[in-house]
Amino acid sequence: MDATLKLWAVIAIVGALNYLSRLSFIAIFSRRHIPPLLARAFRYVPAAMLTALVLPMIVTAPGGGATMAVAPRIVAATVAGFVGFRTHNTLQTLAAGMLSLWLLQAAISWTT
Amino acid sequence: MLPACIGIAPFGLVCGVGAVAAGASWWSALGMSAIIFSGAAQILAVQLLAAGAPLAVIVLTCFVAGLRFLMYSAAMAPYLRPLPQRWQQGLAFLLTDQAFAAAVRRFGAGHAPREAARHYLGGGVALWASWQVTNLVGYFVGNLIPASWSLDFAVPLCFIALVAPQFRAMPPIVAAAISGFAVLALSGLPMKLNLIAAGSLGIVAGTLADLVKERWTRR
Repeated sequence: MDATLKLWAVIAIVGALNYLSRLSFIAIFSRRHIPPLLARAFRYVPAAMLTALVLPMIVTAPGGGATMAVAPRIVAATVAGFVGFRTHNTLQTLAAGMLSLWLLQAAISWTT
Repeated sequence: MLPACIGIAPFGLVCGVGAVAAGASWWSALGMSAIIFSGAAQILAVQLLAAGAPLAVIVLTCFVAGLRFLMYSAAMAPYLRPLPQRWQQGLAFLLTDQAFAAAVRRFGAGHAPREAARHYLGGGVALWASWQVTNLVGYFVGNLIPASWSLDFAVPLCFIALVAPQFRAMPPIVAAAISGFAVLALSGLPMKLNLIAAGSLGIVAGTLADLVKERWTRR
């Protein structure tokens, strides 16, 4: 398939599916009762999906998975997790994670 | 909503850079950010496109990653029910992780539905607009940002900010632990199929933990 066509097919189909997911219970099924088991399962979609998205991004550093490249990312992500848990604040979580990563990377390049 | 607009800026830049890497033209990169309007789906799409994955795999992976919109939609539905249908259809398009997080706080605080919806609409439009700007900036100048800044790390941090506050009860912790273990254990699977498998396992584990916890506390 032509690359441009494939890209626009992805945009159209994923865009439509995303919009239908967003619209689902607000408009399409708004008069329907959600089965209790489904409602229960929904609650754990963000925790499960976001974790599955996040972990591979942390343990694989761009340009290879050398321990000295990955270790600071794991520590910085843990620090960010604690800050996020305590503050519920995106900006503080982002700042804590980036600052600890930069500090650790600076410390490693200074010692080696 | 201003903090959220700043918070997603590095994420938008990374998505723009990813679109370049996937060989997208600037207007298809803009089409992607304007129509898909989901950082997670965009990142997955450009990575899978660059890896030459088939269309069906790309669509399925992005859909599963977007399943959380079903949950957000179900949670928002009672608050949006008093509004006209056209409002509902418009507001649904603006439903993102960040808009949802802000909206539940505001609607939950007992504001009048119309007032809270107007606030959500304003915030959602601001998020959408800043998402387009940051994606385009990332597309055109993102490659000038030195790799040593590790800007890509801002993407997992945005998700950590969303998921960490949920770890106050046992079931979401179980869901995340099982899903996290599975995504790494199954990382040998091609075309990011580990994401779908791990997400499903995590959802089942969280639901089971919830059922067990309920039975335990009822006794």
